[in-house]
Amino acid sequence: MVAAIVVSPQARQAAPVSDRSAVLSEARALINADQPAAAIAKLTPLDAPGRSDVALLLGVAHYHANDHQRAIDYLAPIADTLPSGSVERREAVQVLGLSYFLAGRFADAVPRLEATREWAADNVELGYVLGQAYIQVGKADRARQTFARMFGVPDSSAAAHLLCAQMMIRLEAEALAQAELTRALEMDARLPQVHALLGQIALFRGRLDEAVSLTEGEIAINPGNAMAFYQLGDARVRQGKTDDGIAALQKSIWLNPFYSAPYIVLGKAYMQKDQLATAEGMLDRAIEYDPNNRSAHYVLGQLLQRLGRTDEAKREFGIAERLQAQPGR
Amino acid sequence: MMLWILRLLIVLAVFAATPTPDITAQARGGPLTFSFANTANAAGLTAITVYGGTETNKYLLETTGCGVAVLDIDGDGWLDLFIVNGTVLGGFPAGQEPVGHLYRNRRDGTYEDVTAKSGIVQTGWGQAACSGDYDNDGHDDLFVTAWGQNHLYRGRGDGTFIDVSDAAGLVTKKARWGAGCAFVDYDRDGYLDLFAANYIDFDLASAPLPESGLCRYKGIPVACGPPGLTGGKNVLYRNTGKGTFEDVSDRTGITKSSGTYGLGVSTLDFNDDGWVDLYVANDSNPSALYINQQDGTFKDVAVEAGCAYSQDGKPQAGMGVAVGDYDRNGTVDLFKTNFAGDTSTLYANGGKGYCDDRTFAAGIGLNTRWLGWGVGFVDLDNDGWLDLFIVNGHVYPEVERVKTEAGYKQRKVVYRNLGNGRFEDVSERLGPPVTTPAAGRGAAFADLDNDGDIDVVVNNVHAAPDLFTLASPRDAHWLTLKLVGTTSNRSAIGARIKLVSASGSQVQEVRGGGSYYSQNDLRPHFGLGKDAVVDRVDVRWPNGREERWIAPKVDQILTLTEGSGAAIGSDKP
Repeated sequence: MVAAIVVSPQARQAAPVSDRSAVLSEARALINADQPAAAIAKLTPLDAPGRSDVALLLGVAHYHANDHQRAIDYLAPIADTLPSGSVERREAVQVLGLSYFLAGRFADAVPRLEATREWAADNVELGYVLGQAYIQVGKADRARQTFARMFGVPDSSAAAHLLCAQMMIRLEAEALAQAELTRALEMDARLPQVHALLGQIALFRGRLDEAVSLTEGEIAINPGNAMAFYQLGDARVRQGKTDDGIAALQKSIWLNPFYSAPYIVLGKAYMQKDQLATAEGMLDRAIEYDPNNRSAHYVLGQLLQRLGRTDEAKREFGIAERLQAQPGR
Repeated sequence: MMLWILRLLIVLAVFAATPTPDITAQARGGPLTFSFANTANAAGLTAITVYGGTETNKYLLETTGCGVAVLDIDGDGWLDLFIVNGTVLGGFPAGQEPVGHLYRNRRDGTYEDVTAKSGIVQTGWGQAACSGDYDNDGHDDLFVTAWGQNHLYRGRGDGTFIDVSDAAGLVTKKARWGAGCAFVDYDRDGYLDLFAANYIDFDLASAPLPESGLCRYKGIPVACGPPGLTGGKNVLYRNTGKGTFEDVSDRTGITKSSGTYGLGVSTLDFNDDGWVDLYVANDSNPSALYINQQDGTFKDVAVEAGCAYSQDGKPQAGMGVAVGDYDRNGTVDLFKTNFAGDTSTLYANGGKGYCDDRTFAAGIGLNTRWLGWGVGFVDLDNDGWLDLFIVNGHVYPEVERVKTEAGYKQRKVVYRNLGNGRFEDVSERLGPPVTTPAAGRGAAFADLDNDGDIDVVVNNVHAAPDLFTLASPRDAHWLTLKLVGTTSNRSAIGARIKLVSASGSQVQEVRGGGSYYSQNDLRPHFGLGKDAVVDRVDVRWPNGREERWIAPKVDQILTLTEGSGAAIGSDKP
């Protein structure tokens, strides 16, 4: 379930006046009690053409049951037939929009979510979903406006471009994010994090010289940013400028000694320099701070293998493989 | 093809410290001396490959697509083509099923569809194809994997085949998802054995559907898997030499690999000990490097050898595999295609038993948009340095709904080897057909027109194949070798060739399988650049025997028959 229902179904607390309305009330109560399957079972015998009240509840129940396609099947035919401005219509449009979103039909979701925003303008969850949908259909300007409103910054500010870019990166839409970040940089060359994110994208794309230059730009703005020094060290090591990389990684550690990633890259860097004992120390330190770090165990296994300590290497590879099987590692 | 895509934003990378000696390094941005033309339609390769849904897929089964095998069906020295076909979930009425197509090379750049008279009836969820002469009768045979039942077709040498799957003992009791395959003589008995990866232990009745909401890609419900589905076990069949095969997967250690979800397969001799090894690109799992223990067993050493994961120890969604000595250090290196949002992986083999991940160091790390399948190390400009040709296409047709993705149909990527350990992406400069999007899957690399350069055949989903005919520089010399085993397996799969010329030495192998789901040319090809003279060619045959040929003429396809060269090494009288 991505978002809470913006329009509370509690608004529909009419007293039952017939068997059918009693069933509808019971079904509503079941939905509210997070028992959508039971609600569907109750409602299905009442389902018939023209029974939009039943279709609405069935659509909502299927949405709560994570059957988004069935929710769409019930709600799409009735959403625009319900009385304009009614609570029922709002609920149908809103749940239909969310169902389209969750079914991956972003272009269909956008107009429904936009309609919902008209009566739930400042709902943060709705804004987040709508902003994501805008990104997925390539409407960057509207995404930015939506996120700017969520975060309370002006639409056309550098901060809005930065925030929008961060949301785009979360969706792995790096090309769109890069455009937003570039615009942010044009508007405010000293806005923290912009250089770092651009550098991160450059690093991800393998444009190492650019990654170094941008990350150095971030450090110039915020010399206390340990993550930026780590990113710079990573890029330098990838460039083969091992000593420069080590220097940057050391600074990262001095600023934040408890983050394991710089130690791992240092381990690799010292392996490149054939300073294997130092490399082992770095990797041991990484594991000390982050015992379940798969990469640290894997790289340490490789190092131990090169040192001829095959039993220890096997142990580390085994740990890395076990951690591999654990989600999120 | 991972659902939860590996993110590389905070990749912990390693850059190999020792640069490759710069022998004939090309300048980045220098003129391109080769080009491609897509001649498929004019050549008559027009049959559509049908595979799964066109707009949406319910099951992972609908995503993998099909491969291509090159083989000589009539012994005329011109390579013919077998294009595997698939089907759709609803099936087709009897007699209207899509079939795999066998095309005979007419030797004039065109092909005749000889499927109907060939005896090959490949229907259903076809996957990979590989070829070799398993009965040493001088005629190429064909093996085709499938979700369901794999098939072995014995070639009669006249363009016709007979399905010997049952007689050969290859019929299985339950449906399996056969994936990449390779003929390989692992026990050096002179008969080609047969390796097949198995992707997933897949059952339509129990596989979750996209509607379950469990499986999403960038917010879109998509076909589930492979994580969460039971992985298949790879299989090795030993050739008894009497026309039958026996399943030796367990006793040879093949089933004891670290990972599962096998797709692309290639033979290679990773440790250069003269005993053929196997590499399997596994999807969302550590890949497998089966090292031949020289005693009838294999050991998967991929994890400890550093050829299983990304450089920070994460599994990648391996699809296709290319093998070749790209840095000319005398050992064969590996290249693996992976999922979108990730890089392909270049594993350099330093000859010390482990891989050095040089993805970023070699300049390969800049492409993360494409989802790679077929891949080959091929010398496109015949300069003696192996370039890379990569076929792409997304697994999910649903990505068309997302503007931020590269699309279901994707362009190819071509990297030119600069001869200094680095590659240059020249895809855009090659223009169409390389930049024309397609939902590519399997690709086979072979000199189809016998003109001294390597052409590419691509099997596309819901489209006809592509045939990229290569025009390489006319002033660059070359030598292609056709090896014929006599006491070794006749196809000479597993042979290793070292060619020495003025600019140095090159190593090639005769390999079973390769790329994604495909069989490449069994004739090793050497680009020679300006070297108009070859000093010598040394061959180590699959049975270990070593022979030398002195100063063969260049710019020809030369047949080397085992026993006709001068013995060298331990075989020297």
